[in-house]
Amino acid sequence: MKKNVVISISLFIVVSLTLIAAMHDDGYGPYDPTVLKLEIPPDWPKPPTDIYLNNKLTEQGFQLGKKLFYDGRLSKDGEVSCAGCHQQFAAFATFDHDLSHGVNNGFSTRNAPGLFNLAWMTELHWDGGINHIEVQPLAPITAKNEMGETLDSILFKIKKDTAYKRMFKAAFGDAAINSQRMLKAIAQFTGTLVSANSKYDKVKRGEAVFTSFEERGYEVFKVKCASCHKEPLFTDNSYRNNGLPLNRFFDIGRQGITQLSSDSLKFKVPSLRNAQVTFPYMHDGRIYSIPQVIEHYRSGIITDQPTLDSLLRNRISLTNLEKNQLVYFIYTLTDSSFNKNKRYAPSGNYGILNPGLDKH
Amino acid sequence: MAVFLTGSSFSLKKTVQPVETGILKMVFLNTANGKPVVLRDSIYNNYFGEQYRINKLKYYISNILLTGKNVHNKMGIYYLVNAANDENAIELILPEGKYYNLTFLLGVDSIKNCSGAQTDALDPMNDMFWTWNTGYVMFKLEGTSDASNADLQRIEHHVGGYKGDHNVVTKIDFTFMDSPWIEIKKNKVTEILIEMNLDNYWHGNSEIKISQLPVCTTIGMLAKNVSANFKNLFSIKTISTLP
Repeated sequence: MKKNVVISISLFIVVSLTLIAAMHDDGYGPYDPTVLKLEIPPDWPKPPTDIYLNNKLTEQGFQLGKKLFYDGRLSKDGEVSCAGCHQQFAAFATFDHDLSHGVNNGFSTRNAPGLFNLAWMTELHWDGGINHIEVQPLAPITAKNEMGETLDSILFKIKKDTAYKRMFKAAFGDAAINSQRMLKAIAQFTGTLVSANSKYDKVKRGEAVFTSFEERGYEVFKVKCASCHKEPLFTDNSYRNNGLPLNRFFDIGRQGITQLSSDSLKFKVPSLRNAQVTFPYMHDGRIYSIPQVIEHYRSGIITDQPTLDSLLRNRISLTNLEKNQLVYFIYTLTDSSFNKNKRYAPSGNYGILNPGLDKH
Repeated sequence: MAVFLTGSSFSLKKTVQPVETGILKMVFLNTANGKPVVLRDSIYNNYFGEQYRINKLKYYISNILLTGKNVHNKMGIYYLVNAANDENAIELILPEGKYYNLTFLLGVDSIKNCSGAQTDALDPMNDMFWTWNTGYVMFKLEGTSDASNADLQRIEHHVGGYKGDHNVVTKIDFTFMDSPWIEIKKNKVTEILIEMNLDNYWHGNSEIKISQLPVCTTIGMLAKNVSANFKNLFSIKTISTLP
């Protein structure tokens, strides 16, 4: 009798386990996530907030985010992926464009910033209007002059793709696809783009030495630039008016977000990392080269603006030699290992969907 | 499965007295000029005699708190009332007993405005989310009016803002000094009918004339002005225990 009970219980367990396994086999492959950690370079400050607090970082989530990032289906016409305006070889800025191209031959009204070290930013966009990395893609996706698409339509398109179902399952445990999961996955890709291997970083780690010209440029930088472009991120993530005139789009910057007149014409201080490949510069890409940017600070600042940054009231005095030294120092902030890192490049054949530079 | 079997045999040994529960059904009824709001149809008058039609009416209810013998916090519930729905109702499971205070927020608390991508009622697909200046539209009223000088004589009020001076999120507070209490009975549904009367949207603490404010689609002082009337929008019509 006792033996029978043991056998029936064992049978019950075996049958149940088989049933459970069958229930889990939905045809979309396994769920076996590989946990990732955000890489924090040595001697860097901790990110101000944990952007992955409610978004478990996994290899599968990262790969899904990458696929979405490179997928033109996130736009109305199927052509404009995130990567269309955020090109890896330009540190994920738009190479050689003041403004970026959207659907229907539209133009953005701001210069696409490079995407790296975003985990150290609490606010995104030139005006800081976005308060969390997960919700950032909603802005370009829905903007008529950028990707011009709706979330409904994107989900309709990607739900038809079995590859996506498998990847959502691999990342989140089941094949359900919704906007929240899509946005969390994209954040797993964009938030882990860490650029910290430039010559400057190697010098700091004792793996390389500056030339004397770069070294003098660094000295100039520390005296004249570093209070806003603070090391090691090369930005303090503040909003400042750097003395440019109001542009043709009447872009008042931070004031549009806070509604405070004291924020008029203030924009986020961009990182100088990878500046060599993110030209043109400023929020609307109005300045083409690094020497011209430095010249703006030396002689171009419009000083009679009430919200002009107090550090720029007297412009920045620099000799021609210092200016050149500074340029060479800024070149040491280029991180080719980041801009060429295959891990951040599209997997599979996306060459046709995303011709990149050739298209523009 | 083996673990599950073991677990259930343990729980059988426990002798915790189960709490008897019932359901509180909060039903939201949107009215104007004493009639239920019908979208794209009826014409209504506001306090200033301005006539208008309503095409969209949506707002968030969150952070529901009920106080009886104990405080029952339903913080995790976010509900989007949409006049396009046949019925707008939130069902809460509560321990039986009398409750003398009900509060909720009109809007979405700041935490959910700052915590990244959300889902269900807070999914940005519900078209209640600002993509360029992160935050939820707490109250959305769209329609048309001859009094409007905006394009197509539209009324477009997207009222939002969760920070500091621009915070429009409003706590709605009902205290029942004496009967009718909200009484939750075991295995029964108690229905509380909450009227949202649009007539109080236009006046009260601030005057909102369509002729002066046909469009309000950003955070700021205008939205804050509109929200000054939020407190008076809601009233309790009936509380009844369904058979």
